[in-house]
Amino acid sequence: MRILIVEDEPDLLASLAQALREEGYAVDIADNGDDGLFNAEGTDYDAIVLDVMLPGLDGWELLKRLRKTKKTPVLMLTARDQTRDRVKGLDTGADDYVVKPFDLEEVFARLRAIIRRSTNKTTNLIELGEVKVDTAARHVFYQDKPVELTAREYSLVEFMALHRGEVVTRTQLYEHLFDENESSLSNLLDVHVSNVRKKLGADFIATRRGHGYCIE
Amino acid sequence: MKLYKSIKWRLQLWYGLILVVVLAGFGVTAYQLDRNRLLRQVDNQLHQRVKVLADDLHHRPRGQDANRPPPGQPPHDPGFEGAPFDRPPQDQFQNDGPPPQPQRNRRLLDFHLPDEDAHYFEAGDPHSFYFSINDRDDNLLAHSDNFEWANSVTTQVKTASVNGGPTLGTPTPNFEGPRRLVSEDLPSGDTILVGCSIAPEMKELRLTALKLAGVGSIILLLGLAGGGWLVSRALKPINDISATAVKISAGDLSQRINVAEAESELGQLAAVLNATFARLETAFAQQKQFASDAAHELRTPVSVILTQTQTALNRERDAASYRLTVEACQRAAQRMRKLIESLLALARFDAGQEVLNRQPFDLAQTIADSVELVQPLADERGVKLTVSAAPLVLTADAGRLAQVVTNLLTNAIQYNQPEGEVRVTLAAEGGLAVLTVTDTGQGIAAADLPRVFGRFYRADSSRTGAGNAGLGLAICQAIVTAHGGTIEVASTENVGTTFTVRLPVAEDLSA
Repeated sequence: MRILIVEDEPDLLASLAQALREEGYAVDIADNGDDGLFNAEGTDYDAIVLDVMLPGLDGWELLKRLRKTKKTPVLMLTARDQTRDRVKGLDTGADDYVVKPFDLEEVFARLRAIIRRSTNKTTNLIELGEVKVDTAARHVFYQDKPVELTAREYSLVEFMALHRGEVVTRTQLYEHLFDENESSLSNLLDVHVSNVRKKLGADFIATRRGHGYCIE
Repeated sequence: MKLYKSIKWRLQLWYGLILVVVLAGFGVTAYQLDRNRLLRQVDNQLHQRVKVLADDLHHRPRGQDANRPPPGQPPHDPGFEGAPFDRPPQDQFQNDGPPPQPQRNRRLLDFHLPDEDAHYFEAGDPHSFYFSINDRDDNLLAHSDNFEWANSVTTQVKTASVNGGPTLGTPTPNFEGPRRLVSEDLPSGDTILVGCSIAPEMKELRLTALKLAGVGSIILLLGLAGGGWLVSRALKPINDISATAVKISAGDLSQRINVAEAESELGQLAAVLNATFARLETAFAQQKQFASDAAHELRTPVSVILTQTQTALNRERDAASYRLTVEACQRAAQRMRKLIESLLALARFDAGQEVLNRQPFDLAQTIADSVELVQPLADERGVKLTVSAAPLVLTADAGRLAQVVTNLLTNAIQYNQPEGEVRVTLAAEGGLAVLTVTDTGQGIAAADLPRVFGRFYRADSSRTGAGNAGLGLAICQAIVTAHGGTIEVASTENVGTTFTVRLPVAEDLSA
């Protein structure tokens, strides 16, 4: 899962990014509206955490412009908890909002919820034959036994699970699993896929040569 | 609302009282006039009868006067013989029961009211006219038929004889009730007394009084009803005002009095009240906005502390990582402290509680100190600072004014172009110290100029990260105003902005 955070307060941005990375997300950051819009339009993020008050384009304007081209789920961070501000955010196309000051747990939960909704899933549990993925607890079970996965491996499984039945290209996987600062060594992805197959069964992820990967 | 405290009822009461007094005055006057008229009529009739009697006496044959006794002596009428004149008649009456029938004065026995005048003293007349004729010694010479000896002495009759003889008993009419008398002394010395009952007049007057009272009551009732209507009508705007004020005091500050008659006194009052309500609403909205802005400003640093600490606590970390977290928390706390100090300063200035420590000092030196303080920031941004300030001694709060200068300088540097310039000048102008700070920055849009000194105003609406809450200029203004000075801003977009501070050089004791 790859997430963009647009927030101008440096300490808040840094801690949010760190916390989300530790949750296993690939995180890109922008500290002003213009950069934020540029990133959001150029990359298929799984979700965007967007502050309302930003230098340059403010959050509302960024969202309005982004909605012309992309349906990326957006979680607004607002310092105003008045109803009209919430309504404005939701009407402009935000998927959810969190009022500052917030608890990290709440941000995590709401992010998971908007990502799940964007992939048309209604529960946090995805069953793929013998493999079960709990996206809330970020656990994977194989034959009802918990499996130890690294954060990156889990993200790979979760992303493939959320796109079950589709062929997921290597580019897509790179986009969603790695942030813009990570060097996209092409074999890094192969290593993760190979590790997941070792843990969840060789057939769990099928390779479509020339296209990408797929979970049936 | 207690009835006696209600303006409406008090007005009604006064109105009613005045009406009662006026009506009573009219009624009494009308009654008196009617009474006088009736009595005059009666008097006319009495005088007419006196005249008739006098004429009749006059035409009486003179010889009959021959037996008249000399003045000063009691009459020697046989008709009076046996009458105990040596004793007061009262005693006699008291002792002897029924009064004796008066015997006719012999001298006047042949005086008969002529028939043509008999109708003047007819028995059937409701006025029961009666008469008596006395000689100069009060001896009863003649009287009408409806006259009889009463058991009391009436005062209308001359009482004492000249020689101190006994008082003659006076006949009284044989009816009860109010009477009216007219007496006339004839040249012959005789006295004619004519009286009558005025019971019919009194009856008429009672009727008149009743009518007046009735009409007066009706007028009073109509007046009270009309007055009540007028008072209600006049007080209706007051009720409207009151109803609106109640709604406003209940918290709905958007209410306004409906001013229908703007020209009337109450209309003007309503307009004044509406203006007051509008100011109240604005002040209230500003206060609310201020509180909301203040809360909003605190949200970001609190968010920083929460996310920083929660992230840090999520797992074990190395010392360097914790250090970063603590530093971030410290920055957030400093920011909150700055904000709280600013808010408190503004609140103190608002409440007039800020005490200025006024001492004579050189403002030019203060400017030099401030410039030194912000020089690193200017260097960092590549902004050139030029100062043109001659020594100028002010009696003011040096610390507070240094805050103003530093704040203006910091703004001028922060909102300047790279490689821009900030010019500071200080000059004395007619008892005022004039300080200007000019930058070569992007300028402020004309529409924003009035809001520059407003609280939480920011040139860049979303500079939350800069640690600048947008209170600096508001505080500058509060400080300058507290010193009795003024602060103004002039700006041209893309050219620059000039802040001008004018301070009285002498201590303004009124400030």
